[in-house]
Amino acid sequence: PSVFPIIILETLFFSLATVRPKNEVEQKQLCAFGEYVAEILPKYIQQVQVTCYNELELLIHPDGIIPVLTFLRDHTNAQFKSLADLTAVDVPSRQYRFEIVYNLLSLRFNSRIRVKTYTDELTPVDSAVPVHKAANWYEREVWDMYGVFFANHPDLRRILTDYGFEGHPFRKDFPLSGYVEVRYDDEVKRVVAEPVELAQEFRKFDLNSPWEAFPAYRPAPETLKIEAGAKKEDTK
Amino acid sequence: MAGGKASHRMVPTTGLVGLAVAENPHERLRILYTKILGVLQSIPKDAAYRKYTEQIVNERFDLVKKETDVKKLEDKLNSGQIEEVIVQAENELSLARKMIQWKPWEPLVEEPPSDQWRWPI
Repeated sequence: PSVFPIIILETLFFSLATVRPKNEVEQKQLCAFGEYVAEILPKYIQQVQVTCYNELELLIHPDGIIPVLTFLRDHTNAQFKSLADLTAVDVPSRQYRFEIVYNLLSLRFNSRIRVKTYTDELTPVDSAVPVHKAANWYEREVWDMYGVFFANHPDLRRILTDYGFEGHPFRKDFPLSGYVEVRYDDEVKRVVAEPVELAQEFRKFDLNSPWEAFPAYRPAPETLKIEAGAKKEDTK
Repeated sequence: MAGGKASHRMVPTTGLVGLAVAENPHERLRILYTKILGVLQSIPKDAAYRKYTEQIVNERFDLVKKETDVKKLEDKLNSGQIEEVIVQAENELSLARKMIQWKPWEPLVEEPPSDQWRWPI
């Protein structure tokens, strides 16, 4: 009866929509492999997650960088021989503000994995250079941009900033315009660095929409606990 | 060695840079697998690493013992050329030796702070 045209219209609509199809098989395989690795290395792996886009992530303790990376490179069932990327993420509100991210690729099994660790400004982290030679310049970049020190790195020095540059630019508390600007000074006949002068003061726009952005990801409501206070002493 | 014709196999090169054709791959694999199994004995029996690695090594070892023809062995192992299988076994051996130092089967070293892995913040 009249329901038919509606059903046909809906199926037509959904088949034309460009939504990435969910790959359940790959999701299951990645979950299984994540559980396999977590079972073998319980000393260092704190959490394993698979994103909805089928990306496997291992969240590990910083002591376990070299063991986990060596395991993923050398084990027969893993063979992640290629370090695709090494970056850091700055989240200043956390106790350990920097999150170091390693992206690995396995050519034998055509799959990728992400390994994440954490550190703060002062704690050094083991260098991945003994495991993957490719980590050399990536770690220099993380040192230069964030200030994360890598212990046992063969040559940890700045790679992108200017020679006398002070500060770590990718940190969230480093301003967009920087602190110094350079110009050629004719009196001293060289380039000088002076505090930055902006023609227009920095404007910050609040681009938040009045509606809730992710209703599915609301934080769980906090239950207020009443703690027992100090007991009153009996007055005599 | 890598350029000339190997006597035992009809393969002149592996096709991979820096990887020479292995003469007597069965012998080399036999030695490597025995060494790996020996190293794994030093790991506690209930460790998952020992369990899974022994499973992998025994499977491959049985196939190596049964199949004498190299090409058919490569197909059965389904892990690339026999020289690559030898490299995988060497890597597994070095990993097993390092695992004895690291002892990754112990319980978690330290729990992260509660907000460390929360996303969105």
